[in-house]
Amino acid sequence: MKKIKGILITLILVYVATALLGENFLGGYNQGKLLERTGLYGLLGIGVAFVIIGGGIDLSIGSVVCLVGCGVPWLVMRQGWSPTSAVAMAMLVSLGIGLWHGLLITKLRLQPFVVTLCGLLIYRGATRGMAEDQSQGFGGEHEGFRALGTEAIAVTDKFGIPFPFVIMVGVAVVAWIFLNKTIWGRYLFALGNNEEAARLSGIDTDRMVILSYVVCSMLAALGGLLFILNGNSAQPSDFGNFYELYAIAAAVLGGCSLRGGEGTVVGVVIGTAVMQLLKNMINLVDWLKSHMEFLIVGVVLLVAVMADEVLKRRVAKRR
Amino acid sequence: MLGALALSGCGEKEGGKAKFALVTTGVASFWDICKKGGEDAAAALGVEVEVLMPSSGDDQKSKLEDLLAKGVDGIAVAAIDPVNQAGLFDEVAENAILITMDTDAPASKRKVYVGMDNYEAGWMCGELVKEALPDGGEVALFIGRLEQDNAKRRRQGVIDCLLGRDKDASRYDAPGQPQVGPKYTVLATITDQFDRAKGKANVEDMLTKHEGIDALVGLFAYNPPLILEALKQANRLGEVKVVGFDEDDVTLQGIEEGTVYGTVVQDPYEYGNRSIRILHALSQGDKSVIPEGGFINIEARQIRRDNVAAFRGDLNSKLGK
Repeated sequence: MKKIKGILITLILVYVATALLGENFLGGYNQGKLLERTGLYGLLGIGVAFVIIGGGIDLSIGSVVCLVGCGVPWLVMRQGWSPTSAVAMAMLVSLGIGLWHGLLITKLRLQPFVVTLCGLLIYRGATRGMAEDQSQGFGGEHEGFRALGTEAIAVTDKFGIPFPFVIMVGVAVVAWIFLNKTIWGRYLFALGNNEEAARLSGIDTDRMVILSYVVCSMLAALGGLLFILNGNSAQPSDFGNFYELYAIAAAVLGGCSLRGGEGTVVGVVIGTAVMQLLKNMINLVDWLKSHMEFLIVGVVLLVAVMADEVLKRRVAKRR
Repeated sequence: MLGALALSGCGEKEGGKAKFALVTTGVASFWDICKKGGEDAAAALGVEVEVLMPSSGDDQKSKLEDLLAKGVDGIAVAAIDPVNQAGLFDEVAENAILITMDTDAPASKRKVYVGMDNYEAGWMCGELVKEALPDGGEVALFIGRLEQDNAKRRRQGVIDCLLGRDKDASRYDAPGQPQVGPKYTVLATITDQFDRAKGKANVEDMLTKHEGIDALVGLFAYNPPLILEALKQANRLGEVKVVGFDEDDVTLQGIEEGTVYGTVVQDPYEYGNRSIRILHALSQGDKSVIPEGGFINIEARQIRRDNVAAFRGDLNSKLGK
């Protein structure tokens, strides 16, 4: 709770401010859409949190989103695969990508930044080649399959809990249990805190690093799948561009330290919600101009991180 | 060095056939149609045509250089970066006949530009909105980005038409302020920087903010499908009018089903066809094909429910579908 205090206060402040200043913010439709977006982007945030907690970084997330987001409709619509086999293929490929990153980083001792930066280029390039730079989507078909990204559990006639949010909550619960209630979770934190010490105390650190990259790539793939099911339109040259940065920002906002060894799943989910809330606010509040989006998001993030740091120091002093 | 290579190659026609090339801005179905237009013209005139589709501005540069090295009589290019490529284009113009199509490079020594007036096309899009909302109403515009010239002019055409102003392509209303006219109000122009998820979220946020909004206009090819997706998920398809731009299959299907009122389409077939005919005429010394002002306007067309089936059929046959 202490760790997420700062970000939780930010969430409440931005929420109340938008409710007061924005039009129809509290309507069921808008609340549902906010949950949907938090679900979609939250999956990427939880994934990168695993890597960051273990002391690494993954810059290839947006390109994995692109690979899966374009690849699944390409397989289904152009190559005649069934949705099930296309999804299985996407998960298999993303598992392979995570494994490959992890092996290069642990066995060949390459830097995570370089390995995943090359991944960023390679997977987007490969997608563009595969799809011949053409837009991908399901047209008007496969409505049943797409429901996974578009439908919601109805609560009132205007408000429902969207499936992407439900899926993200499920993933978050498993991630929370893994990180807080299992021995591997403790290994991952130990690894991020001090890799050398962790190795000397008998932890198979290589295995933990590889695992974190596999989790990250597979959650990016799941996110990419839900993004395309939800939006039904993906262009290989720009789909998922910069999404790794949104994910990393949400993770850092949520209390992950880029030095490793720190972070909470709940914090990351709240961090994601803050990011989506800010974007929503800019569209709903009249005097906030949309071309100022990056400026506003950047300033709020910085203030939140600063406030969090000050808060932590005070708590530390009092002890 | 390159110039010398090009000079030695230029004018040597194998088998007497003139050689021309079309260079696009990228790979897209739009350019497949353009290619077909160019090839049909070449077959009719008995000349050779090569169509190159670069992947980027750099790639366009090297493809143009390769063409010069090989030796061609004329090139029609869609300029990716007109300002920074001006020098390259001038080098091409010194060694072959150069014209531009689709996107112009006005600062270069190109002979003529074959394309569409985006302000006029935007105006036509505005007319469709008026037809869809004869009693007036509130409208929001969605577009990828406003930095590029064609986007600015297209948007301004829509706004000027809806506000009942005189035509003036040099006008520019800064985005952010609602534009209020006697019958129509343009609430906002929202950009997504080509981020599809953001593009869809923008539509959703507009539906939240202005519950009674009457029409949504998507000005880049991918915007109308995103608008339809957002409306569908909000169960408001058919209730809010949609007007589009370009010929995305989802947009055309929407027109057939009645969820989209209409769209404005360009004519890439004619870009390719006319370009080759002009290059051929110029290579024969016929300068009468160059109009005053150096701009050949290939007019945009409005597609509505009554002509969508014919347009779609024609498009598919040109694409060989």
